Amino acid sequence: MATGDDSLRTMLRVMLQSGLKTKSEPRAYTSEEGLRIAARLRSLSATAFAEKLTVAGFTLSPYAPPHSEDDLSQSCETCMYYVTHRRFCELPELNVPVEKEWSCRLWRI
Amino acid sequence: MANLLWLQGGACSGNTMSFLNAEEPSACDLVTDFGINVLWHPSLGVELGDNLQRLLNDCVSGKTPLDIFVFEGSVVNAPNGTGEWNRFAGKPMKQWVKALSGVATFVVAIGDCATWGGIPATAPNPSESQGLQFLKRNHGGFLGKEFRSKAGLPVINIPGCPAHPDWITQIVVAVATGRGGEIGLDELQRPKTFFQSFTQTGCTRNMHFAYKVSATEFGQRKGCLYYDLGCRGPMTHSPCNRILWNRQSSKTRSGMPCLGCTEPEFPFFDLAPGTVFKTQTVMGIPKDLPTGVDKKGYIALTGAAKNAAPAWAEQDMFIV
Repeated sequence: MATGDDSLRTMLRVMLQSGLKTKSEPRAYTSEEGLRIAARLRSLSATAFAEKLTVAGFTLSPYAPPHSEDDLSQSCETCMYYVTHRRFCELPELNVPVEKEWSCRLWRI
Repeated sequence: MANLLWLQGGACSGNTMSFLNAEEPSACDLVTDFGINVLWHPSLGVELGDNLQRLLNDCVSGKTPLDIFVFEGSVVNAPNGTGEWNRFAGKPMKQWVKALSGVATFVVAIGDCATWGGIPATAPNPSESQGLQFLKRNHGGFLGKEFRSKAGLPVINIPGCPAHPDWITQIVVAVATGRGGEIGLDELQRPKTFFQSFTQTGCTRNMHFAYKVSATEFGQRKGCLYYDLGCRGPMTHSPCNRILWNRQSSKTRSGMPCLGCTEPEFPFFDLAPGTVFKTQTVMGIPKDLPTGVDKKGYIALTGAAKNAAPAWAEQDMFIV
């Protein structure tokens, strides 16, 4: 599984580094917005990786919310869906290997 | 011998079903081993019509001493405070509740509806429901916050949707055997012996809670249900993982989030769409944090716990 994760993770990284335009805002700060984005992700094929990255709003670096008093950057590393040792996002609608410094707008701690 | 009378107001009979499933002690044990005389109960009582009215009136007059008055369901006040939507034995149930509470040695509210108003009292509360001594978290309810039974105690609240069978029978036995005065109550009048600890206490997912590994679907054996699926175990007072259901399991053990049904706010967020089985967040941070934890502490703890999580915490270790 790790080998498959590694090659897919590399492919996703290349997509993002190549300038794939993703929708990192607005963030899913309300339940309604989160459900709306999750519903869009569910409508995609499991292997539609570019679309998944786009809809979820992936970035290669942590997102820092403007005007936040919590001094908190939003990265996969602190997200509830991130599995540390596998370096994987377990949100069922995403289910993709990631890097700990990546971020997406479905982030929740 | 202690006389017990059990009535139902705005109720689904869920607590009666729960009571009849009690095991330690069972409903039969109450009669045979602990000398409790069940004067009448909605599912067990044999009197009907005039005979039932006579039985109730004898309690009110004092001809029959009423040691324990158990009430299940909300006190229905609609329409316009008359209580006519819930008539029983010839008059609004609320009138029986007032009269019987006034003569009972102990008054026990069973289930959320009788304690806080429960689901019937959820906004907009068309049945004008109240709990016996609370309306949600507001002290007062139908009997008023100054109410004391003849034993000098306020209403003993045993919440839950339903209450666990053994919480019911163990408190009834304590009262019937003369130990009612020893029951310590919390600020919501719940017996501390059951409601001091959290639902999370004894949960088999505590290691996943500690290492911040989330369950993402119902029934998953791996992962904590708090982070994504709306589990209220870390902020709900109940012994659901200490006194197991059916002696076997609990909601969280079987992969079902705790709904917080022993707290006055249940059902939370007035059942607004998207609020059930989904952790509510503000800017990605849970709106309701574990009791006693502040936001900064929660964020710091999450980063540290994720970094420290061992690989096994991410595996499903419960191999069948």
